[in-house]
Amino acid sequence: MTCLLCQRPLTTKLTLPWLLSWQPVAQPVVCTACWQQFQPIILATACPQCGRAQPHWQVCRDCQRWAAQPDFQNVALFTYNEAMQAYFQHYKFQGDYRLRAVFQTIVQQRLQQLTADQVVTIPVTTATMATRGFNQVTGWLDTGINDGVLTVAKTVAQSQKDRQARLATKQPFGLAPGVDLSGQRIVLVDDVYTTGRTMRHAANLMLENGANSVTGLTLAR
Amino acid sequence: MQPKDLYGRQLLLTAAELATLPADVQSRAGLTITASQIQCQRCGSTLDHRTAQLPQKQFYCYQCLNLGRVSSLTPLYHIPEPNEFPQRPKLTWTGHLTSAQAVCAADLQRAFAAHERHLLWAVTGAGKTEMLFPGLAWALQQGWRVAVASPRVDVCLELAPRLQAAFADTTVAVLHGRQTAAYAYRQLTVCTTHQLLRFRAAFDVLVIDEVDAFPFAANQQLYYAVDHAVKPHGAVLYLTATPSDALLRQTRRGQLKLSYLPLRFHQHLLPTIQVTLLPKWWSAIAKGRLPAKLRRWLGAYATSGQRFLIFVPRIDQLTVVQAAIQRQFPTMSGQTVYSADPDRLAKVQQMRQEQVQYLITTTILERGVTFPGIDVLVLGADDPVFSTAALVQIAGRVGRSQQRPTGLVRFVSGSYTRAIKQAQRQIKLVNRKGRRLRDDLSTVPTTAND
Repeated sequence: MTCLLCQRPLTTKLTLPWLLSWQPVAQPVVCTACWQQFQPIILATACPQCGRAQPHWQVCRDCQRWAAQPDFQNVALFTYNEAMQAYFQHYKFQGDYRLRAVFQTIVQQRLQQLTADQVVTIPVTTATMATRGFNQVTGWLDTGINDGVLTVAKTVAQSQKDRQARLATKQPFGLAPGVDLSGQRIVLVDDVYTTGRTMRHAANLMLENGANSVTGLTLAR
Repeated sequence: MQPKDLYGRQLLLTAAELATLPADVQSRAGLTITASQIQCQRCGSTLDHRTAQLPQKQFYCYQCLNLGRVSSLTPLYHIPEPNEFPQRPKLTWTGHLTSAQAVCAADLQRAFAAHERHLLWAVTGAGKTEMLFPGLAWALQQGWRVAVASPRVDVCLELAPRLQAAFADTTVAVLHGRQTAAYAYRQLTVCTTHQLLRFRAAFDVLVIDEVDAFPFAANQQLYYAVDHAVKPHGAVLYLTATPSDALLRQTRRGQLKLSYLPLRFHQHLLPTIQVTLLPKWWSAIAKGRLPAKLRRWLGAYATSGQRFLIFVPRIDQLTVVQAAIQRQFPTMSGQTVYSADPDRLAKVQQMRQEQVQYLITTTILERGVTFPGIDVLVLGADDPVFSTAALVQIAGRVGRSQQRPTGLVRFVSGSYTRAIKQAQRQIKLVNRKGRRLRDDLSTVPTTAND
C-alpha cells in the first residue's frame, strides 16, 4: 500500500489499545505526514453561518453581508489551505477518482451526525460529467453520479471567477421534475464554500419549494 | 492548434482544440477494455478494474495522470508523422573525434541506416554525445525525425545546448515536465523519456541516453513509451556507461547490437575509487562535527579552492552535512540540491558557472552532468540507494576535462558492500581494457589516422 497523495509506502502500527479494542483493521489511505497538512476546523469557534475557522465564536464579516438572505447554516470540515488546494487539483481537475477515498470516511461520519430527511448534493454540469466522469461531491458519498434532486444549467465554473463575479452569479439550479421537498429537513453537501453563492442559491431554491430547513456541509471553507 | 502540433503525437484534446484541426484527424480509444483486463493505450499499463473505475461503467488510467487523464470518456488524437522538413540541417560542429570514437560513430550511423536496435557502451566521459553527431547529421540529412531522450531532466538540459550548437541551422525542441514553453514541431527533439508517452510512431531515430538511470530502468511504462514513440521500423540507440544485466543479455541474444568504448576522449583512464571506512561518520556529522579525515580533506579544498561534489544517501541528510561543513569552513560557499528542490535547475547552473565551490546532493546528480575538474566525495557509500551503476557513474563525474583529466574519488563508508566492490572491479576492468586500447592506438602508425 502506498499513500494516495505522496505515493510513499504506508505503514500501519499495531498498538496495544487498538489490539484490545477488537476493532477491524482500519486501512489508512494517506500517510500521517500528508494528513497533517489538512487543517480541521474547530466547530466551537467557527462562524455559525458559513463554518469558517476563526479564533473566537462570532458571525464573520462575510456572513454579516448576507444578512438579508434567508437563514442558512453551513458546517465545514477543513480550512481551504495549500494542501486542500493541491488535493482538489488532483481529485477534481486532474480527475483522479481514487482520491475520493481520502475524505470518504470523514464526510460520511459528519453527515451521519446531522439530522436530515434527505441529503442533497450540488450537481455538476452535463459537460463536466461528460469529461470528468464523476461528481466530486457524490464521490465522497460513494456513488460519483449526480443524485437527481437538483439540476444545473451550463455555467462558467465558479473557480474561474473573482469574488464580484461569483456573487453576481444568477440562480443556476432547478429542481428535478417530480421531486417533492415539502416539510423536509435537507442537508446540502458541496466541496468548497468560498463566497457562499452556490450553496445559498441551492438552499433558497429548496426553501422556496417547501423545504423545512437547509443545512450545508462542505469539505473546505 | 496547428495540424503539425499533432504530427506523430497522441494527445487528449478539448473540443475547442479539436475544432481548429482538419476533419481527418485520427482518433482511437484511450483505454482498451475487455472483461479480464484494462490497458492504457498511452502508457501501456495494465489497470486494476476496481481502482480504475469511474461511475457509470467508465474507466480511467491512474498511472499516467500527470500528462492529462486518459479515460474511456475521451479518445486520443493522432496525425501520422509526415516528415515535413523542408530544410536539411548540416552538422556545424567542428571538433574532431579520436580514432576510437570515430569507429563507434561509424557503427552508430550504420545502425541508424539499417534501422537497428543498438547499444553504445562507453565509459563515463568517453564523449558519447560527440559520437552521436555524424549519425544524427546523416539521419537529419535524410529528412528523418530524430529524438534524443533521457530519463533525467538535468541530462536533457545539458544535452540540448550541445546539440543546438552542433546543428546551428535548425532549432532543437526541448520537452520536459517543468518547462513553460509551448510544444513546437521540429526535426530534432530533446526530451525526457516521460514525454515520449505523448508521441506515437513519430521518430525514425530515437536515442535513449543514460538508459540505466532511474526512473527508466525497470519501468515498463517507459519501455512501452520508447517502443511506441519510434516508428515501426525506426532505429533505437541506447547509450550508457553502466548497462544493466538485462541489456547485456539482449546483446548476447543478438536482439541488440553492441559498440564498446572503454577509453575516455582524452585517453586517460578512469579515476579509481578510494574507500575510507568510517562507520561513525553520520553520528559525528549529526552532532555537527566533521570526522578528522573529512576535516583534513575539506580543509585542503578550502585552501586550494578545488571544487567538489558531495553525495549523501538521503535528502534529510543534506542540510545536516551542509551545516557541519559551514560551521567548520564558513568561507567555502556551497549549496544543497535534491530532486524536488524548487531551485534545482538554477543551483546546478550556478555550480556549472563556478559561482559556488561545492554542491551537496543525492543520487540525482550521479550522471549526465559535467562540472569540469571536480573531485567527488560520497558519504555513506554503503547505503542501498547507491547501486553499482550509481557508484560507477558518481566516480565518472571526476576527471572529465582535458585540463584536469584526473581527480579524487573518495567513498566514506561503514563497510565494503558488494556494490562498492563491484564498482571498483568494474572500473578496474574498464581501465584494463582502456589501457590495452590505448596501447593499440599508440602502436598504429600516425599516417593511418589521417
